[in-house]
Amino acid sequence: MADLFPPLVTAQIDDKPKVDEKVDYSNLPCPVPYEELHREAYMSLKTDNFEGLRFDFTKGLNQKFALCHSVMMGPTEVPSQSPDTTIKIPTAHYEFGANYVDPKLMLVGRVMTDGRVSARVRADLTEKLMVKANAMLTNEPHMSHGMFHFDYMGSDYRAQLQFGNSALIGASYIQSVTPRLSLGGEVFWAGVPRKSGVGYAARYETDKMVASGQVASTGLAVMNYVQKVSDKVSLATDFSYNYFSRETVASVGYDYILRQSRVRGKIDSNGVASALLEERLSMGLNFLISAELDHKKKDYKFGFGLTVG
Amino acid sequence: MAAKGPLKLKAKGRKGSKGSSSSSTSSSKYELFKDWTNWSLKKAKVATHYGFIPLIIVVGMKSDPKPHLFQLLSPV
Repeated sequence: MADLFPPLVTAQIDDKPKVDEKVDYSNLPCPVPYEELHREAYMSLKTDNFEGLRFDFTKGLNQKFALCHSVMMGPTEVPSQSPDTTIKIPTAHYEFGANYVDPKLMLVGRVMTDGRVSARVRADLTEKLMVKANAMLTNEPHMSHGMFHFDYMGSDYRAQLQFGNSALIGASYIQSVTPRLSLGGEVFWAGVPRKSGVGYAARYETDKMVASGQVASTGLAVMNYVQKVSDKVSLATDFSYNYFSRETVASVGYDYILRQSRVRGKIDSNGVASALLEERLSMGLNFLISAELDHKKKDYKFGFGLTVG
Repeated sequence: MAAKGPLKLKAKGRKGSKGSSSSSTSSSKYELFKDWTNWSLKKAKVATHYGFIPLIIVVGMKSDPKPHLFQLLSPV
């Protein structure tokens, strides 16, 4: 008989801690890094669509070290004089890469058939200080560029300092103001086109949604919102506005994470609809299909690929 | 008037050279420093361009468990 009437008192005690949780302002969580503010939105809205064939083979030699070979064949866009026409040149290239991933040190390097080397290094100097460097080196003179970043992670803030070649200096700072809201700002100075800029950003997140916004003195204002509808589905929308050139772009996208596949798609106010499907055919074998239809420019791109390992 | 011109230029030239000789050490030190950093950056760029991927491979082949050379070269 006692089982028919479960104790109501315990149910109430369970609910109370959720409602009465006081915000402990001295114990706020660490915010996301400044460059990853719009991470959730860009996962659906800025997918890497490609055109042509893509084949990636990653061979792991041990837990930390892997070599990868990738072949890409397809048309590559060349910047043209008029914005209406797109010039495409068919190219094929092979890229060899090596990755070394350690909890404290990460080295990623890629070299292409035309001699271009792209390098990324991430090292944890101490628990809180991290150095990152990335470089794209070519054989042509004055076409290489590299950047160094120094990140400091505090208890509820992150600060970053950046140095790039051709005298590029930047700094950014982001702070958790409440457990859900974080605010940040950045400053940069570019030596070659003598420009400096300031930007501000805000991010509000809960379990189910993330809203973020960013304004910069280069004229760009971006706002986006992501709603996690369920474990498998999330929807995102983005609005970007350039107040100097008066260009606006709004886009809506979705991200479906299913057991064997992941579909991401978006539609844009520029008349661009795109989608990317990644399907896991078996363990370690992934099949990719990418499509991007630009109705305004009448440019249709379709690609397929296979990723092994 | 034509004769005064070159005299004025000569005077300016002498003044200019006198002024630069006092600060020539500091300006040439700065120039030397800039030249040295440009030279070292160029060498560093070449070293990174050719040596970064071999560096990753050397670091990876030394990590535990040590992979064999055969595993590095075979396509399987």
